[in-house]
Amino acid sequence: MAELNQEHMTKAQKEYLRKERTREMRQQLVSFGLMIFLTFIAFGLAALEVIPAQFTIPIVIGFAFIQVILQFYYFMHMKDRGHQFAKLFMLTGFYFALAFIVAFIYIVWIGAPVN
Amino acid sequence: MAEMEYNVPTERWPAHPETATQEGKNKFVGFWTFLAGETALFASLFATYLALKDSVPSDDHMLASELFHLPLAFVMTMLLLTSSLTSVYAIYHMRNNNFQKMQLWLGITVLLGAGFLALEIYEFIEYYGYGHTFRSSAFGSAFYFLIGTHGFHVIVGLIWAVLLILRNAKRGLSVYTAAKVNTFALYWHFIDVVWVFIFTIVYLLGVL
Amino acid sequence: MAQTSAQKKGVGSVIWEYLTTVDHKKIAILYLIAGGFFFVLGGIEAMLIRIQLAVPNNDFLSAGLFNEVITMHGTTMIFLAAMPLLFAFMNATVPLQIGARDVAFPFLNSLGVWLFIFGGIFLNLSWFMGGAPDAGWTSYASLSIASPGHGIDFYALGLQISGAGTLISGINFVTTIITMRAPGMTYMRMPLMTWTTLVASVLIVFAFPPLTIGIFLLMFDRMFGSNFFLVEAGGNTIIWEHLFWIFGHPEVYILILPAFGIFSEIFATFARKRLFGYSAMVFATVLIGFYGFMVWAHHMFTVGLGPVANAIFAVATMAIAVPTGIKIFNWIATIWGGSIEFTTPMLYALAFIPSFTMGGVTGIMQAAAPADYQYHDSYFIVAHFHYVIVGGVVFALLAGLHYYWPLMFATMLNEKLGKITFWLFFFGFHLTFLIQHFLGLWGMPRRVFTYLDGQGYNAANMISTAGAFLMAVAVIVLVVNIIMTIAKNERVGMDPWGDGRTLEWSLPLPVPYYNFAQIPLIRGLDPYWVEKKEGNGKMLPSESLTDFHMPNNSILPVVMSLGLFIAAFGAMFFPDGKDWAIDAVSGLDPKPWALPVLIIGLGTTFVAMGIRSWKDDLGYYVKKEEVEKDLEELERGGK
Repeated sequence: MAELNQEHMTKAQKEYLRKERTREMRQQLVSFGLMIFLTFIAFGLAALEVIPAQFTIPIVIGFAFIQVILQFYYFMHMKDRGHQFAKLFMLTGFYFALAFIVAFIYIVWIGAPVN
Repeated sequence: MAEMEYNVPTERWPAHPETATQEGKNKFVGFWTFLAGETALFASLFATYLALKDSVPSDDHMLASELFHLPLAFVMTMLLLTSSLTSVYAIYHMRNNNFQKMQLWLGITVLLGAGFLALEIYEFIEYYGYGHTFRSSAFGSAFYFLIGTHGFHVIVGLIWAVLLILRNAKRGLSVYTAAKVNTFALYWHFIDVVWVFIFTIVYLLGVL
Repeated sequence: MAQTSAQKKGVGSVIWEYLTTVDHKKIAILYLIAGGFFFVLGGIEAMLIRIQLAVPNNDFLSAGLFNEVITMHGTTMIFLAAMPLLFAFMNATVPLQIGARDVAFPFLNSLGVWLFIFGGIFLNLSWFMGGAPDAGWTSYASLSIASPGHGIDFYALGLQISGAGTLISGINFVTTIITMRAPGMTYMRMPLMTWTTLVASVLIVFAFPPLTIGIFLLMFDRMFGSNFFLVEAGGNTIIWEHLFWIFGHPEVYILILPAFGIFSEIFATFARKRLFGYSAMVFATVLIGFYGFMVWAHHMFTVGLGPVANAIFAVATMAIAVPTGIKIFNWIATIWGGSIEFTTPMLYALAFIPSFTMGGVTGIMQAAAPADYQYHDSYFIVAHFHYVIVGGVVFALLAGLHYYWPLMFATMLNEKLGKITFWLFFFGFHLTFLIQHFLGLWGMPRRVFTYLDGQGYNAANMISTAGAFLMAVAVIVLVVNIIMTIAKNERVGMDPWGDGRTLEWSLPLPVPYYNFAQIPLIRGLDPYWVEKKEGNGKMLPSESLTDFHMPNNSILPVVMSLGLFIAAFGAMFFPDGKDWAIDAVSGLDPKPWALPVLIIGLGTTFVAMGIRSWKDDLGYYVKKEEVEKDLEELERGGK
C-alpha cells in the first residue's frame, strides 16, 4: 500500500504542471492581497465608526466569511479535485457551528419567561 | 515487488507528492475530518464566549468595549495572515521538490507565528494588569478560554513545525515527509481561519 | 482468546502483543473485553438501584450512595459499555466488509482503545477514592458545581480522556471508509453496517468537540478557578445544558445507528433475502444523522427557552420519526416472504422491531412540548430511554455478539443457551420497563432514592425489580455460555452461518492477520452472495498475489494514555485547599504534589507524541511466500 504508483511524466506534462503552479501562485497572491484589503476595511470600519454599528456588524462578518472562503479555496487548495469530502465536512461543520452560535445568542436562558 | 519507495528520484517526483501514497491520502482525508471536528470545537467556544460576553459580577470590571484596542489586534492579524501565505510558499516548493526553499519558508512561518504568540502573551499580561483575568469574571473566563485555545493551537503548531524542520533536515524531501508537511500546512491555515473569526467577532464587534 | 498465539508464546508475550497491537481484530477484542467488563459493572449498579426501589422506605442504599449509583450506572452504560461494545463490532467488521487489510490509522485505532480504557478506569477509581460522581449522568452544572469532594472531577476527567479516544476512533473510521474500500466497493454497495458506522463516526466528529468544551468548562470551574457556571460571577449554568445536549442528542444516534446496522445485516442474512429498500435505508441513515443535530433542545423544554424555540425543536424532533419509520418498514419488508431461520441473533432482531418502536412512539409523545411538561423528570422518561437504549442498542449488542462471535473467535456460541438468554432477557426487559411508563404517569419522579408507602407505587416497583432479576439471570447464562464456548474451543470454518452475504464471511476463520491474501474485486451489493449465486462461491481477486505492506506494532498509545491518566490526578487535586477554589474542594487538605504530577503526566504524553512524530514508521512487508503457504494450508484443511 505504501508504494508509489507514479507514471513518468513527459516533458510536456511537466511544462504544463509548472505553468499551472505558477498560475496557482498568482491566484494565491491575489487572494492574499484581497484578504489584507478586507482586513484593512474591516478594522477601519470598526475603528472609525463611519457608518452605524448595525451596518458595520453584518459587513465585517461578511468580510470574515469571504476571507475564510479564500483561505479554504486557494490556500488550502479546496478548489482542486479530490476535495469533495473536505467541502462536505466543512460545510456541515459551518452549518452546525452557525446553529450552535445562534442558539447560544438567543436561547441561553436570559430570564424572559420569568418576566 | 520492490521495497518501499519513499525517496523518489527527481524525474519521478509526483504532481501531488502529499497524496501519492495510500498513507498520504489517509492523512489528507483524516486531517480534513479532524478540521471539521475543530470547527465544532471552536463553534462551541465562540458560542460560550458570546453568551458570556460582558457578563461580569459588578461595575468595577472592564467590559469588551473598554478593554480591547484594535492596533494590537491588527498587527497580530497581519502577522498570522502573512504566516499563512508563507506556508503556502512552503507547499509550493514542496510540490516542486525544492527542499531547501521549503525548509526556509517553513522557518519564516515559524518566526511569524512566534511573533504572533509573543504579542498575544503581551496582550494577556496587559489585561491582567487591568484586573481582567481568567478568574475575575465569567467574561474573563470565556475570553481567555477562547483566545487561549487558539493560542494553544498556535503553540502546538509552532512545536510541530520546528520538529518537522529538524527531523526532515537529515531525511530530506520524500513522499513520506511531504505528507507530513502538507498536514501541518492545512493545520496552520485552519488556525488562521479561526483567527479571522476571532478578530471579527471578539475584537471588531467587541469595540462597537 | 487469541488461542493460536497462546499456544506458541508465553502469557507475557501475549499480553505484550495486546498492549502494542495495531491490528483492528485484536483491538476489537480489547474493546469487547473492556466494554463487557463495564457492561457487567453497570449492570450490577442497575441491580442495586432496583433492589433499593423494590419496596417503599427501603434503606438498602443511603440517599447519597443512591445518587452515586444512578450517576455511575448511566455514565458507565453509555460511555464505557454501549459505545465501546459498538466499537468492538465496528472494528471487527468494517475493514473486512470493505475489503481492507487494516483501518486507515492503525496507530490511532490503538490510541483510541487505550484512551477509553484508561478513562474508564479513572472514572471507576472514584468508588475507592472518596466517592463517585453524584450529579446524574447529565451532570447539570448547578448540581455538579455544588457537589462536594472529588466525585464530579472523576466524571469530568474520566470522560475527557475516554471522549478523546472516541473522537480519534471516529476520525479513523470516517477515513477508513472513505479511502480504504476495495476495487468495486462503491458507496452504494457498502453493507448497512459500514454505512451506519460511517454516519455514526461523522456524528462523533461533530458531537464530541462540544462535549469536550463543556467538560473543559466544568473542569476549569472546579479545578482552575474560572467562572463559567458561577452565577455570582456572571456565569450561566444553562450553557452546560446546551453543550451537553448538543453532544448528548447526537450521542443517542451514535449508539442507535450502528445498532441499526447490525440488525440490517442480521435480517438480510437470516431472512435469506436482499435487504429491502437498500438505498432508502442509506438515505434514512444519513437523514437521521443530520436531524440528530437539530433537536438537542427537546431535552430542555422545561428550562424556559420560550415558545418559539420549543416549537422549532418539537417539530424537528417529530420529523426524525419519518426516516426511522422508513427503516422499520424496510426491515419488515425484508423479512416478508423470506425464508426465515430463527437463530439467536434473528430472535433479537425480531424482538427489536416492536420493542424499539414502543420506545420511538413514547419519544414522539415527549416531542410535543406542552405534554413534555407532564412527562419531564418522571419514570415515563426512564421507561422511554430504556426502551430505545435497551430495546435498540443492547439487543443489537447481544445479537451482534452471537452473530459476529465466529468472526472474532472462530467458534460458535451455544445456540440453546443463547435462546435461553434471549427469552429471559426479552421478558425481563419488558417486565422491568413497561410498568415504568405507568409509574411515571402516576407521578413517580425519577432519581428519587425511595418513595412512601400508600402512594400506589409498591406493586409496580416490585414487578419492575423482578424483571431486572430476569435480565441479570439472562446475562449470567450468557457469561456461562461464553466460558463454555471458550473452554470447548470447537473451531468453525468459513461462512459459519451458512448464509453469509457480505464480504467478511468470505474469509477463512480465524481471519489471517493480514485479512485478505489478495484484495477482492466487488461485483455488487452483498458481494459474497453475488459470488455464491453467479460465480463459484469464491471472491475474485483484484490484484495478483504479491508482497504487501502492514503497519508496525507500537507501545506509544499506552504511554500516551497513561500520561493523561497520571495528569488527571494532578489536575484533580490541584485546587484542594486553594483560596480561589469553589466551596466543594477549597476546604480539603492542600496537595503540593498535584502540580508536578499534572506536568509529569502531560509531559509524558507530549514526549510520546513527539517521538511518534520524529520516528519514521514505515511498517513492514508480508512476503508473498508466507501468504502462499497460508493459502496452501487452508486448501489442505478444506479437504
